[in-house]
Order: sequence, then structure tokens, then C-alpha cells
Amino acid sequence: MKRGKHQDVFAERLPGKAVPDARQLRKTAGDWLKQRRAEAALSQADLAARLGLKYYTFISQVENGFSRVPTELMGAWARELGLEPAAFARHLLMYYEPELYRLLFGVESK
Amino acid sequence: MSVVAFERKQYDGEWSERELSTITAALNPALAPTTGRTWETGMTEKGDAQFYLLGPLPDQSCELCVSRIGGRYLLEDGSGRLLFEHRNLDLVVLHARAAVPSTSWLMVRVIILWCAIRSVLHERIEPMLAESEELLVQWAPQLAAFA
Repeated sequence: MKRGKHQDVFAERLPGKAVPDARQLRKTAGDWLKQRRAEAALSQADLAARLGLKYYTFISQVENGFSRVPTELMGAWARELGLEPAAFARHLLMYYEPELYRLLFGVESK
Repeated sequence: MSVVAFERKQYDGEWSERELSTITAALNPALAPTTGRTWETGMTEKGDAQFYLLGPLPDQSCELCVSRIGGRYLLEDGSGRLLFEHRNLDLVVLHARAAVPSTSWLMVRVIILWCAIRSVLHERIEPMLAESEELLVQWAPQLAAFA
């Protein structure tokens, strides 16, 4: 599915690395989003249309771990996946801003 | 009768070598080792090819994304804003090249700003100073006599 030029394919967690890098965490977030979308029985194109996006390429960009869900789209994204927006944002914050998440909620896991 | 074998354009699946070299050649300055940028390819769930220009470490987030959907090329930024779309990849990569945030472009802007400031100083401030100097020269003897 993906071809890396300079780096290996993402692993779930890098062994022996205390803090997983931002890219790895974004990829984990992307996988989680993909799973939630599948559970909502939506294709990337369906979700893009519901979010008012002209193309579904950005959904793929996010799910492949190269971009984040923009803050201004988080609420709508959550609702289209049938999730509670606050819980959705909190879950994504854990991947996108782990240090901020730790400061706010005290723990690194769900 | 012989049939001319036209090159078949690849409209889905992975990037062709030609497409990839077109994109990377256009973005070559942005991919210079000093920039810390890198690139990757991926696909949508429908199998449309995507090219991601990634920023430097530690974040390595997507700065630009070129996608191919049914023979049409799309250029988006890392926030999903559609910047340009066309059937001609050469045109799309030209826009991609212009859209890359670059230090040299920043330098050009700083130089232009500096030139504009100097021009304003030269055209507006200097005549005002010269005028006040002229007035001083004109009025100083009279003021001195009055005093």
C-alpha cells in the first residue's frame, strides 16, 4: 500500500524507543480512524462527501498518517463516524500531542 | 497494415516511474538534503496514487500532496486545501513547486520589503528633511535678528 523512500514501513511501536515519534503516532491515529470509518460503513469518498470535501484524497492522507484531522473538522468528522466529538478529540490528542495529553489527563493510555 | 503502439497512460494504481521522476525533479530544490524534507507515496482505498512531500524532523508532517484520480492530478496542502487540479502533471508540479514553503522565497520577500522601505525613505522622508533644512536656513537669520 505504501512505499517509503527513506524510511522503513511503520511498525506498531518502535522497540526500545521511549517516546514514539510524531509520525509513528499519526500513523497509529490514522489506523484508528480507518477502523472507526469501517465500523461506520463509510468509504473514504462517503466520508469526504459528508464533510463537504471535494475529493477523498485528504481522508486518505490522514488515514495514512501523513496529516492530522484539522481541529475545525474534528466535530463533524466525529459525528459522521457516530462518535462523541469530545471523546474523539481527546483520543486524537493522545496521538497528535502526547505531551499535552499527558499534562491534561495525566496518563498516556486511554 | 501496422498498428502504432501508443504509450498507454496509467490512470490508476501506483505511480509510474515517469510520473514520479516528473514530481521529484520539479520538487528537487525543496528536497535538497539541507531542507530535511523527504517524500513518500501511498494510495487511497480506491487505489489512487498519492505523493506526499514531508516536512523535516521531528514532525515530518505532509506539506503537499499530489494525487492522481482517474487521470486527473490534484494538489493539496497538508490541511486538505485543494490548491490546483489538472490533467497535465507538468502543470500541477509547477504549482507544487511554487507552493513549497522555502527559505530562499522568504529571503526574496525580506529583500523586497527592505527595498520598499528604502524607496519610501528616499522618496518621502528625505524630501521632508531637505524641506525642513531649507526652512531652517531661511528663517534662522531672521529669528536670530529678532532675538
